[in-house]
Amino acid sequence: MNKTGILFFPAFDWSLGETHPEREERLLYTQEQLFEEGVFDLPQIRQFAPGMAPLSQALLTQGIFPHPAKHDLTAHLIAAGSTLVLGEALAEGQIQNGFALVRPPGHHAGATVLGNRGFCTLNNEAILINHLRSKYGVKKVAVVDTDVHHGDGTQDIFYHDPGVLFISLHQDGRTLYPGTGFASEKGGPNAWGMNLDIPLPPGTGDEGIHYVLENWVLPRLDEFKPDIVINSAGQDNHFSDPLASMNVTARGYGRITELVKPDLAVLEGGYSIEAALPYVNLAILLALAGEDYNGVMEAEKPNRPQVSFTGLVSRVKELKAEYAQAQPNWVWRSQPYLPDGTWAYIPRMIYYDTEGFQEVRFDRVRKCAHCGGTVFIESRRPPSRGRYALVRIPFGACPECSQAGYDLWEYLIGRAETVQLQDQAGAQVLFWHLDEGVTRFSTVQE
Amino acid sequence: MRRHVGIDVGGTFTDAVLINQEEIENKTKVPTDQDNLLHTLLSALDRLGLDGGNPVDEITVSTTLVTNAILQGRFPPVELYLLPGTGMKLESLSWPVPYKIMSGTIDYRGREVLPPDELQWRRILQERKLNPSKSDHVAIVGKFSHRNQLHEEQLAAYWRQAEPGVNLALGHEWGQANFYRRSLTTYLNLASQDLWQEFARELERAVCERGCHAPIKVLKTDGGVLPLDRVRPVETIYSGPTAGVLGAMAQNPDASYVVVDIGGTTTDLGIVLSGSPLVSVRGAKIGPYKTLVRSLAVRSVAVGADSAIVREAGSLSLARYRLGPAYCLGGPAPTPTDAMCYLGVVPYGDRVRAEEALASLLPDEHRLPADLTRLAKSLLEEMAGRLAVEIRAMEQEWQDEPAYKIWGVLHPQEARQFYVWASGGGARGLRDFLQRKLHTEVRVGQFPEVSNAVGAALARPTFSCTLHLDTVLGRFSVEEAGEQGKWQGAKRPHAEVDSFLEKTAERLAGAKSIDLTGAEKEPFDFFPVVQGYRTVGQIVRGRLYVPPGVWGHLHQRPEGGSRRAET
Repeated sequence: MNKTGILFFPAFDWSLGETHPEREERLLYTQEQLFEEGVFDLPQIRQFAPGMAPLSQALLTQGIFPHPAKHDLTAHLIAAGSTLVLGEALAEGQIQNGFALVRPPGHHAGATVLGNRGFCTLNNEAILINHLRSKYGVKKVAVVDTDVHHGDGTQDIFYHDPGVLFISLHQDGRTLYPGTGFASEKGGPNAWGMNLDIPLPPGTGDEGIHYVLENWVLPRLDEFKPDIVINSAGQDNHFSDPLASMNVTARGYGRITELVKPDLAVLEGGYSIEAALPYVNLAILLALAGEDYNGVMEAEKPNRPQVSFTGLVSRVKELKAEYAQAQPNWVWRSQPYLPDGTWAYIPRMIYYDTEGFQEVRFDRVRKCAHCGGTVFIESRRPPSRGRYALVRIPFGACPECSQAGYDLWEYLIGRAETVQLQDQAGAQVLFWHLDEGVTRFSTVQE
Repeated sequence: MRRHVGIDVGGTFTDAVLINQEEIENKTKVPTDQDNLLHTLLSALDRLGLDGGNPVDEITVSTTLVTNAILQGRFPPVELYLLPGTGMKLESLSWPVPYKIMSGTIDYRGREVLPPDELQWRRILQERKLNPSKSDHVAIVGKFSHRNQLHEEQLAAYWRQAEPGVNLALGHEWGQANFYRRSLTTYLNLASQDLWQEFARELERAVCERGCHAPIKVLKTDGGVLPLDRVRPVETIYSGPTAGVLGAMAQNPDASYVVVDIGGTTTDLGIVLSGSPLVSVRGAKIGPYKTLVRSLAVRSVAVGADSAIVREAGSLSLARYRLGPAYCLGGPAPTPTDAMCYLGVVPYGDRVRAEEALASLLPDEHRLPADLTRLAKSLLEEMAGRLAVEIRAMEQEWQDEPAYKIWGVLHPQEARQFYVWASGGGARGLRDFLQRKLHTEVRVGQFPEVSNAVGAALARPTFSCTLHLDTVLGRFSVEEAGEQGKWQGAKRPHAEVDSFLEKTAERLAGAKSIDLTGAEKEPFDFFPVVQGYRTVGQIVRGRLYVPPGVWGHLHQRPEGGSRRAET
């Protein structure tokens, strides 16, 4: 019998707007369903109280610009903090697996945060992963993102990180927000192959998604042998989801959970508040707890066009070929101010849908055979001319990459509006702002 | 002048007090006869002396009648019919009673998904006709019946027509969420109904025969009192620990402390925060049954002043059972009370017998006074240590309670400075040991031996009305009363829902003759219900309640007196 932790934080007093999908009502019916079923009376279920993540934990993972005080982070810090509570319970052996049933979600929040995008500001899973690495020395982590939207934020955060395998299954980006997540996105120069995006055709149902898991995702996981598997458990592949067009059932989600066997599942999207969430959340929790989820039946029946199974199988074959033939998208470009070494250069545009603006980014990573390499991201929000700079010294950084990070940090102070140094290896964050000077955040806990 | 009698039937002793205004006028203690609780109650009443010119205004009883009947399985057979609809498999949870499954599905908002099957009803009633051993106690419980009683009512109506004499209990009368607990609560309440009614009738008659016409009330596990005939029997389980907490509240106005009530076999713990007892988030659990019965957050530790001392793997330890009274009080075997008596920290017991009891635990060559003292101290240290662990765990549990709103996370339970309030026979004897283990002040009141009876005597009614309103479906329900009705008001009510809650609460409280003065309200939760991109109404949750409490505080004698031994 599994010991399964549940952290249920529905944020009943928080919304992004009264009729916004991310509103108070979102987990109301899930609460009704879970309480009525008596799942908290299952002997193997243990409920945890929410917590609040220290800002330093968020800053170790994400650059928050122009300044954390410019964002309303409270709800997001609680969602992230609650995920951390469950992660610590897992790391300390109090539970065998767990479900952070929290809102707001996080997987569209990337390495730099200029605002809310895809309802996300802080990336709950990413903050959790880096916390587990810094506090418990976890080395290899896999994320399986089963939200219908591409987990572009999580991908962005770990794109250059050889310690994290990111796998996202989602509805094809040509048909759905955020429009990314193609099979050719395989990771940065020091983490090539550590990113796997599987865009699926609209109408994919239980059989299709289970096929992809069994024939592509699970073998890749077996090959990587992660210490911890995190499932970004979005529920919008459900046949009733109003924003997407897939065909997965609650029982299908139960089976996904059984196949992926995540150590922790973290709720992401899913906005069929009535027809899906109460059922899908129940099925996932039961699957984690090792209970039979086959009695979980939605009140509605699927009535969307379904992709034929043979059609799906041949599409997966094409995707595998596309993945195998993918070529790097970066160029090597040096600048006089960059520290010694070879630097890859990737310019990017990121759209923030909630407020409707573009972020312009220039990402650079130092080629390194020994570690993940120093990452340097310049960010701008036109038409403002202000520049923000994020420098990351990765976990397990080699001395050269560490030095490169600090050299960059010193060079950048005074040359940008905000400079943030994430020294993940040294467990500290330095934050410089034009008006305030340097603030140091230690992420080592007592 | 207010004269109240409080009686607490404990496992070993029954305590009774007569409180006059806020002073103890008389108190007594009689051994509990588990096979005849009525007789025990009456003999306690007789020893208090109810006759005489002064009338008593009220008698409150805290009894283990239903608790014992449930734990010993002494109740008539009940047939349980479940409408589990879809969802988690019934077998996932362990069911201590048999059940039969019927069809019909209601969803989380109380909408009918699948109607029941009348053919199935007919078949079951046909089978019952042919079954000579069928029970006339039938409980019917549907999943989500607390949101819509439709299926339960339909089946009940059909059943009553077919079997007019049947005694039916329906799940929606317990209006909180949790199908599993609602089923077991409905079952237990129905099962204990006859026993309770008989007891209530006989008690009333016997008290009446003694020339006393005071209303008799019963203490519920949530700390409230209700007239004997208004209470739901299962709500009286475990009222003993509750009485202990109320007894402490009667002697500690507005403070924060942990209640440690040391009984013969068990020690009951509770928490009081700024004068309000902590209430359990889930319902009470009794034996294998998890219920929806609202109760104070109390826990029982299987160690008491009369716990047997056993030798385990070469060392002495306290058993989870009691063999009888302490040896120094004429009992059969050594107990912690003998250790207290030997050390002179309690004013009762035969010290020679106490010495004999302790000596019997030691080998011949180690029976010097120093050895006996060391043994006595180590036994009491072990007892204090076991309690200290549980006290800490209970405080932690309180701090770990889940929150579902940002407000709750931003305003966490403050860490408070607790002291410990000890009561029960062994309170004085264990005080110093507990104090050293916990590094916390331990206080003992003047009347530790009758603290529970004091709690019963001073308890006041509780009340709670939790409203769940769905303006889209035009339906409301009240959890505690299990009442459901139609909502005719606005789709997005504001002030309207407030006055609706008040009126509903007044009506429900009035039906139980409960006074709502001093009632408190929890802030309303409003959930806009959106369909498409349009707000079509709201789900509103609100609550009006009278928390558990006491109607008066016992006057404590000046400090010097509190140390004096009570005899």
